[in-house]
Amino acid sequence: MGRPKFDNKVTSPSEVAVDLEPIIRFKNIDIGYNKPLVKNITTDIYPGDRIAIIGSSGIGKTTLLRTIAGLIAPLSGVIENVSTGRGEIGYIPQKLGLVRHSSAMSNIMLGARTRRSKLYPPFLGIGEDLRKEAETLIIKLGLREVLDEPVRILSGGQQRRVAIARSLIQKPKLILADEFLGELDVENVESIIDILEKQLTQIGTTLVMVEHQEEIARNIANRIWRIADNKLVEEEIK
Amino acid sequence: MNKKLLTAIIVTSILTFLALDDIIVDWSQIDGSFGKLYIFFTQDLFPPDWSILSAEPGIKCSSEVGFFCSQAWKGISETIKMAFIATILGFVFSLPIASLAANNLYPLPVAMAARILLASLRSLPSIIWALIFTIAIGFGPFSGVLAMTLYTIGYLGKLQYEAIEGIANEPLEASMAMGLTKSERFIFVVIPESSNHLISQLLFMFEYNVRHGTVLGLVGAGGIGQYIDTNLKFFVYDKAMAFLIVIFVVVVIIDILSMIIRSYVTDESDFKRPKWWTVLLPSNAAMKLHRKSLKKE
Repeated sequence: MGRPKFDNKVTSPSEVAVDLEPIIRFKNIDIGYNKPLVKNITTDIYPGDRIAIIGSSGIGKTTLLRTIAGLIAPLSGVIENVSTGRGEIGYIPQKLGLVRHSSAMSNIMLGARTRRSKLYPPFLGIGEDLRKEAETLIIKLGLREVLDEPVRILSGGQQRRVAIARSLIQKPKLILADEFLGELDVENVESIIDILEKQLTQIGTTLVMVEHQEEIARNIANRIWRIADNKLVEEEIK
Repeated sequence: MNKKLLTAIIVTSILTFLALDDIIVDWSQIDGSFGKLYIFFTQDLFPPDWSILSAEPGIKCSSEVGFFCSQAWKGISETIKMAFIATILGFVFSLPIASLAANNLYPLPVAMAARILLASLRSLPSIIWALIFTIAIGFGPFSGVLAMTLYTIGYLGKLQYEAIEGIANEPLEASMAMGLTKSERFIFVVIPESSNHLISQLLFMFEYNVRHGTVLGLVGAGGIGQYIDTNLKFFVYDKAMAFLIVIFVVVVIIDILSMIIRSYVTDESDFKRPKWWTVLLPSNAAMKLHRKSLKKE
């Protein structure tokens, strides 16, 4: 396919960093809504990990991601969030979660706002420093032409870039992405992976993504979590 | 026809007839009522007395155009001003309450408390609120404005929290995961996502308040209704009829304007309008015109 690859042959940070503090630690958790979809998850997420969650539809991949995001509580067990402060998680849901009636710029600045304190007045502008940083990122992502356009009229690829920009400008410790490359053509997938790879490396962000296309998952990730038969199994990278 | 539907129609018809029979004590009351109504329309209401459109004699007025010194202008402009103020004030106060009432933003106990507050404001029609305020602070348009404002908060608040609950969950979830505060989520996610509905509801409420503002005058709360009330009390039906026609025309104009403005706040309004004057057309009509002109080219 000729798509750019992450340097996933390098040993995963979780394998080498014995002293490294995990950013999230799962202790025997069950996840689901009324009944458990995945049971007894015990694992850690380390800084710099690029984890792909794979498995068939309806198996609990999105539920796991939403649990990590703190949107739903685990049915049992404990998740120790070593760091989940304001702006430390960037979340890209399946349908991207963009504010459709706002401009691309407003959506991106929503991410930038998390870099300010909770007490920062919402009616104040975000500040020249962050605006400039956002502009640089926007140019890198090829969004300059559509900055003032409402998100709802942008193409699928442009919307995905906006969602990625919103997360990257946060400089989060962790990005959670749910099948965010879905419905894109190969060219778009290639360019988005390329941008994401560069930016993640630059800001040292950890990535946990749900991906139904195993090939893409293996290209990006240095750890693979497969969910099957109500269990999460860590697979070796081939 | 579906058997269940047929049964439902028959049962509803019987219940309606029984309720009507219970209310109407003497069916003979109806005898000749249409004839009386015909006489009332043809002899008392028509022709309307259009002197209400001319300057009131003996009243000082700065305008040289007679119409702007007329009872009709004074009455309808006062009603429109009352409706405008009440709609804006109602919107400003209802929006924060509506956000508390939306159960996708706040937990159920908070949402229920806010809903009960809105329901209590809505349960009294604006004419009853007007009656209360005319007793409390006296006759005049200020009582009408307060009455309409309270009713607007109750009514608009309900429409607003329903619109807020209807927005997509994903932007809210993404902003929660990002760590945005409740006020940031409300300002930057909820308001833009529900903006089309909020604007549309605001315009609808203005129309509604203009229509209802005409009634408030009947209890002394100002506006054009006060003129209608005076004329009805003195059996000057032809003048009352002229006022009713003025209200009808104004309501139709506001309705058309509102329809045009609302066409700008739909997803379909994104296309570029082909000619400057098409700003006066609703978006779907302008879009059809645009397509036609493209075909010709």
